[in-house]
Amino acid sequence: MLEVRRSDVEYPDVEIVMKINGELKKVKVKPYERLIDVLRNKLGLTSVKEGCGRGECGACVVIMDNRPVPSCLVLAVRANGKSILTLEGLAPEGKIHAIQKALIDVHALQCGFCFPGVIMMSKHLLDNNPDPSEEEIREALDGNLCRCGSYLRFVKAVKLASKYLREGKTYFDESEVLR
Amino acid sequence: MALINILKISTVYSRVSLTFRFNVYIPKDLNDALRALKVEGEGLLPIAGGTDLLVLYRQGLVKFNKLLDLWPLRNSLSYVRFEGGYVKIGALTTVSELLDSRIYMDKRFLGFKDACSGFASPFIRSIATVGGNVGAAHPLSDIAILLLAYDANVKLASLDGERLVPLREFFIDKRKTLRKPDELIVELSFKEPPTNSSTSLIKLDRRVGHSMGYVIVSTYLELIDDIVKDVRIVFDSMGKPYPERAYKTEEYLRGKTLSEDVVKEASESILPNEMRRITDYRSSAEYRVELSKVLLKRALFKTKERILGGA
Repeated sequence: MLEVRRSDVEYPDVEIVMKINGELKKVKVKPYERLIDVLRNKLGLTSVKEGCGRGECGACVVIMDNRPVPSCLVLAVRANGKSILTLEGLAPEGKIHAIQKALIDVHALQCGFCFPGVIMMSKHLLDNNPDPSEEEIREALDGNLCRCGSYLRFVKAVKLASKYLREGKTYFDESEVLR
Repeated sequence: MALINILKISTVYSRVSLTFRFNVYIPKDLNDALRALKVEGEGLLPIAGGTDLLVLYRQGLVKFNKLLDLWPLRNSLSYVRFEGGYVKIGALTTVSELLDSRIYMDKRFLGFKDACSGFASPFIRSIATVGGNVGAAHPLSDIAILLLAYDANVKLASLDGERLVPLREFFIDKRKTLRKPDELIVELSFKEPPTNSSTSLIKLDRRVGHSMGYVIVSTYLELIDDIVKDVRIVFDSMGKPYPERAYKTEEYLRGKTLSEDVVKEASESILPNEMRRITDYRSSAEYRVELSKVLLKRALFKTKERILGGA
């Protein structure tokens, strides 16, 4: 039986300013809200998935000030004044990013629930290391759990994506890929 | 009937998610934070990275109404400095910042490479802090174990002043430390080790990612012509539920030549005598003791290689 902790107190809102996917946003948040709650429920960025809610699965990873963070363990008030990148901000409208293209190319997609986290981690890796070795890719993605077991294809995909990026192909036309 | 059951369950769930309620105090600076702690006392819990506290809170193991967010203090409490013969690490330095500081480029600090790159997962490393790792007082705290091998000191600050506590005396029980409710861990420091010394940390688990380790061992060695001048051996647990040093094994090794035979004697007959392990769902006590023996051997030779190799 789940323990129900009732609390009748309601705490006042705190106004925070975040730069989300390049856009400045003012949001009113409760002090107990996590970043994932605010991103999903108040800003509609539903690419951020809640898997375990305790920082073990990596599905909720977003990039905050150039560092990947599990948004389920970050209090929303802590994101005040930070810049945040989610999957929605990865590519402009109508385009998809090289990492997404590579994942489609190697058929890594099964259910896709872990993908937002995997893509953000891969993005962070490729930003810092344009040509990672297999070892480095495995190390970077070792916190992202995938229930479908597409791990080997993630490694292939990140390698392919790094090739695309080094060739200067960052964005692909969505209509071209998703036929 | 089934529908009613579903409805019942859903109401319970929604109530649970609504009841995660607490207030957060955001301090302006360290003094402001200390003042808040003084006024509120035990009712106000400081939170650094939150990778431990928020998980415990969700599980219902810790209860609180008010948190003191330490993140705004990171401007002043996140650093790695060499000052007056001491290495000083700010309590709010994250594990990835510690890794980025490249402190391990010096062979004396190679243990930091082991501890930081094997720490949880990459995204946890970017919010988990050094001070939080020490303050959590959990046996499987890699950074705390490594700092014990350096014989570090914990600097605690309160409105009444600062005090230094040796890390080896800091833990008193699982999740219990000498920190008083109105104090904050602000810095961890240790004496800069001599040039002919090094450290290592070995953690063994089934997986590499997200591993906690069945056994974690960290060793510090200072060698002069293959003779052990100083040695410190730290295990995640020696019998009590917090990281501790293997004093008798250290005593045995001090002054001896670090040869196969000596290390074998130390790990196979001295160490098991002073070590008491527990059985839990992760591993049995016998296995942990066996593993400790093997890992101690490996760790000592690894550290020796690092000193001689000059990496």
